[in-house]
Amino acid sequence: MTTVRTPPPPRLPVRDRAAGTSANGGVSPMLSRLADERATGVLIREHGTLYLADGQVVHAESPSTPGLDVLLAARGVLDAEAWREAVAAAGARRRVGRFLVDHGRIAEGALELCHLGALYDAAYFVLGPSGSPTRFRYGAAHWLGPVHPVPVAALERETVRRRELLHRIWPDPATDTAPLLRSGLPAGPSVPLRQEAVLGRVDGVRTAADVSVALGRPAFHTLVDLRRLAAAGLVGAVPAPQPPPLPGVLTQPSADPDVALLRRLRDALEAL
Amino acid sequence: MANTETTLKEAMASIEGATGAALVDYTSGMALGTIGGSKGFDLNVAAAGNTDVVRAKIRTMEHLGLKGEIEDILITLSDQYHLIRLLKGRGGNGLFLYLVLDGKRANLAMARHQLRRIEADLEV
Repeated sequence: MTTVRTPPPPRLPVRDRAAGTSANGGVSPMLSRLADERATGVLIREHGTLYLADGQVVHAESPSTPGLDVLLAARGVLDAEAWREAVAAAGARRRVGRFLVDHGRIAEGALELCHLGALYDAAYFVLGPSGSPTRFRYGAAHWLGPVHPVPVAALERETVRRRELLHRIWPDPATDTAPLLRSGLPAGPSVPLRQEAVLGRVDGVRTAADVSVALGRPAFHTLVDLRRLAAAGLVGAVPAPQPPPLPGVLTQPSADPDVALLRRLRDALEAL
Repeated sequence: MANTETTLKEAMASIEGATGAALVDYTSGMALGTIGGSKGFDLNVAAAGNTDVVRAKIRTMEHLGLKGEIEDILITLSDQYHLIRLLKGRGGNGLFLYLVLDGKRANLAMARHQLRRIEADLEV
């Protein structure tokens, strides 16, 4: 008796994540290249800017997120006055962060933690899908000065992880950007305090970014809370307004045969 | 006064039996800093996963209407301790320190004491 030996099936292709991201150039091919050449300057994208020093990210800003000053003020670490004073005194030398620590306004650890949180937060939006070209200005530096540089690879990895986290919580991204509306369902006792605060700011007009600024919280944290609230059916996006019907179509000449037919029909009816 | 890196280094050096530590943001699940760990123990994965532990506990306490705050959470494995300390300070709001201890070498009471001190260093 013979046994037929079939060769083992070829292994299924496994996407090598590390190789995959570098083959596609990661989140932003330009950013990876700038990291490789240890560039210093500012990367300008549609949703914000990343400051690089020696190929590492030292600061990030996005209009979608509250700035470091807002976060520090909201936590009661540093009031707006102390912040203004530091910017005035050390902004020109680009040493604002150092100035705050040296003058005992804030502990080095606390500044680092807040700054890292703000950096990753803004970078998430800067590295999001963009409809306009990316630009880089060599040599530009931020006035805050270096606090805790982050390698580009770590930032890209974290940005991808955050996208996946949001998708796992609730796959519809509508609540990320649109004005928000409460669904009308009663928020039961299952809503944690953090999410309740977010829910309290939802008024049919504010977007996630507005809610973040109002609460002085990192914007990504608000996205997380909103996706959880959306998953619970408590919050939704205000539906985009329907484009108003085009007025006066029938009075204008049209190449559309149906409209031409309707016009002839109208003329015929009026002639009766 | 200390920065995050020296804080984590100090945690590893001063706490007997510590094999890894991470400073984690529990809304995003991101590790702001890690030290130690190994090929078989990815601290970034542990950080992200343990945010669910913290979140669940906070939610349960809110359901129960408990007013007290969580100081730390201890998870005991057959050969390890995992100690989670929630940071209360002004800068550390929403963060926790995650510490992995070797069960044979660690002294839990000492480890908790040291963590309290390290937290204070980071904040003031």
